[in-house]
Amino acid sequence: MSTAAATPQTGAAQRAPRRGAPAWLSWAGYATVLAVVLALAASSPNFLVPANLAAVLNQAAVYAIAGFGLAVVIVTGGDDVVDGGIDLSVGAVAGLAGTVAAVASQAGLPPVASIAGALAVAAAAGTVNGAAVVLGLRPLLTTLATMGIAGSLTLVISNNVKVPFTGAAFEWLRDGSLAGLPVAVVVMLVLFAVVGLGLGSTSWGVRSYAVGQNPTAAKVAGINPRKYIFNSYLISALLAGIAGLLLSARLSAAVPGVGNQILLDIILVAFMSVVFSRRLVVTITGTLVAALFIAALTNGFTLLGVASQWVGAAKGVLILVVLAVVAIRGRSDAK
Amino acid sequence: MTATATRNRPGLRPAPRAADILPRLIAPLVLAAIMLAFSVLTPTFLTGDNLLAVLNQTAILALVAAGMTVVVRSGGIDLSVGVALDLAALAAAAAIAERYVPWVAVVVGLAFGLAVGLVNAFLIVVLRIPPFLATLSVWFIGTSVQQLLTGGGAPIYLVRSQVPEGFALWGNGYLLGVPFPVVAAVLVAGVVYLALDGTRWGRELTVTGEQPGASRISGKRVGALGASAYVLAAGVAALAGVVLASRTYAFIPASGQLYVMDAIGAVFIGATLSKYGRVSVPGTMVGVLIFALLANGMNLAGLSFFWQGLARGLALLLVLLLGVVLARQRTSRVRPPATATTAVPARKG
Repeated sequence: MSTAAATPQTGAAQRAPRRGAPAWLSWAGYATVLAVVLALAASSPNFLVPANLAAVLNQAAVYAIAGFGLAVVIVTGGDDVVDGGIDLSVGAVAGLAGTVAAVASQAGLPPVASIAGALAVAAAAGTVNGAAVVLGLRPLLTTLATMGIAGSLTLVISNNVKVPFTGAAFEWLRDGSLAGLPVAVVVMLVLFAVVGLGLGSTSWGVRSYAVGQNPTAAKVAGINPRKYIFNSYLISALLAGIAGLLLSARLSAAVPGVGNQILLDIILVAFMSVVFSRRLVVTITGTLVAALFIAALTNGFTLLGVASQWVGAAKGVLILVVLAVVAIRGRSDAK
Repeated sequence: MTATATRNRPGLRPAPRAADILPRLIAPLVLAAIMLAFSVLTPTFLTGDNLLAVLNQTAILALVAAGMTVVVRSGGIDLSVGVALDLAALAAAAAIAERYVPWVAVVVGLAFGLAVGLVNAFLIVVLRIPPFLATLSVWFIGTSVQQLLTGGGAPIYLVRSQVPEGFALWGNGYLLGVPFPVVAAVLVAGVVYLALDGTRWGRELTVTGEQPGASRISGKRVGALGASAYVLAAGVAALAGVVLASRTYAFIPASGQLYVMDAIGAVFIGATLSKYGRVSVPGTMVGVLIFALLANGMNLAGLSFFWQGLARGLALLLVLLLGVVLARQRTSRVRPPATATTAVPARKG
């Protein structure tokens, strides 16, 4: 009797302290999102209108899809930004893919061929990134270089003018709907399911996290880190390409320079995802929530008539809040 | 392990072999190849006037990159130097537009830039936010601040005839026949070089960058050293901003960010010159010259501006890849595991 009563106690005492943040923290993340959305809904009657919500989802799709790719890179490369995984070329590759598709369809290629061409170009960029990183270059510098190359190629192909994105297929991408949802949103949800399940519950995902958190240990355990790291850049570039296609379809044109504008938002979305994870790591679900949050915030500010300059400041402060949270993790780990 | 340990210890090695030196010569060789190629392609490239013009155009990038070198040496990175540059240019141009005397405009400009450095230092040293993300958010906020201060991003144009000479000199003056921006860049680069490689501060900063834990244990004031790097970088960028405002007689919002990526590229091209992959001011200047001559030569050869990003990206990839591949044949260094935010910077290409 006494031993049976004592066992659970010793068991509890011996349990290792739970890693990561206190449990309330991840709920605080969701609570903040909910509070902001409710505040926007309360202050602007047009916010919770179905048409506006569809617009928010549409805006979120581009950031979320490219963010998924960046999240995979960060997961596989480790979240230290200078030496770990980072892909600065996502924005430029998205812009390049959109431009390639627009120029190809202008030249009379069928939509399927233009989309395939755009994705092939994106995959080529991802291959360059992956190969250079696997060879031992810092991801930050590699993707900085490919960002410059992709941005320059965009200018060369488009001649630095807006290329209209015409054709029934692209209009369907913009205006069409599947099961009552805009096409971009459906694409986002499908990719969310694929990447999220892949990273969360397949051996590929578990190994990717292992490689990112301790490449040496992963290697000792028989995983080939290079394979996973290379693939992460390929995936990131492909998802960036898809995001670029959707963005161009939404704008009805491939706009040169749009890549640099969305880069910071994609980085913000991917890094913000840590707030929504109990272990404070980058996750796909968190990326989706962060993308929805950023899109809702931007949209809500516009509805309220807040000058667009403040949106940038709000995003900057947001990142800082996120990072302060991450810094708390760093300190509690060090103790 | 012993082989690697001996190899990494200076002084114990015999005279360097050619194979050891080759990876470190790539950047200078690329620079020489660019000069050779363009002097064959365009007759005007290798003239004194053109090269002086190149140096004059490069001065601002050289200043920004010299500051970036300090930050990278301290183990960090600063994406917000463009904001420091912009705010300094904005403050200086606005002060001149309001008819303040030149020295006030310059001091106000430098103060605005230094403020950005102080914010960075606070975020990174006190709040311990990783440098990349801290300076990224300062970039966001700084861009917003610029737009708010200029009423939505309207440029400030100064009337050329009304700009006092004491201010116009900063960007357009000559000292012994050399443009003032070049003089400033050479002076700043020299001072930063001496400070980094010849003073106790520089040695402590280097140690802190490469082994933060060890230098904290050995009683170095790690926080103060890191903070000084960010403030110094912002101060140098602010000087570049004043020069830019004076040269263009204007402030154009978000013009500073254009220099950030080039500066980072130049700094890391420069790192390939060092045996330890350590960044240094002379190496950075080689990188800056590669970018500058590439841009100028392509202009002279009549290639459109659109191609320049491509050429820069390819040059950056080429130099770094060659450096990594050649160095890999020489040694195989153990890569430290990338831990979370406090990772020791692994010196790679």
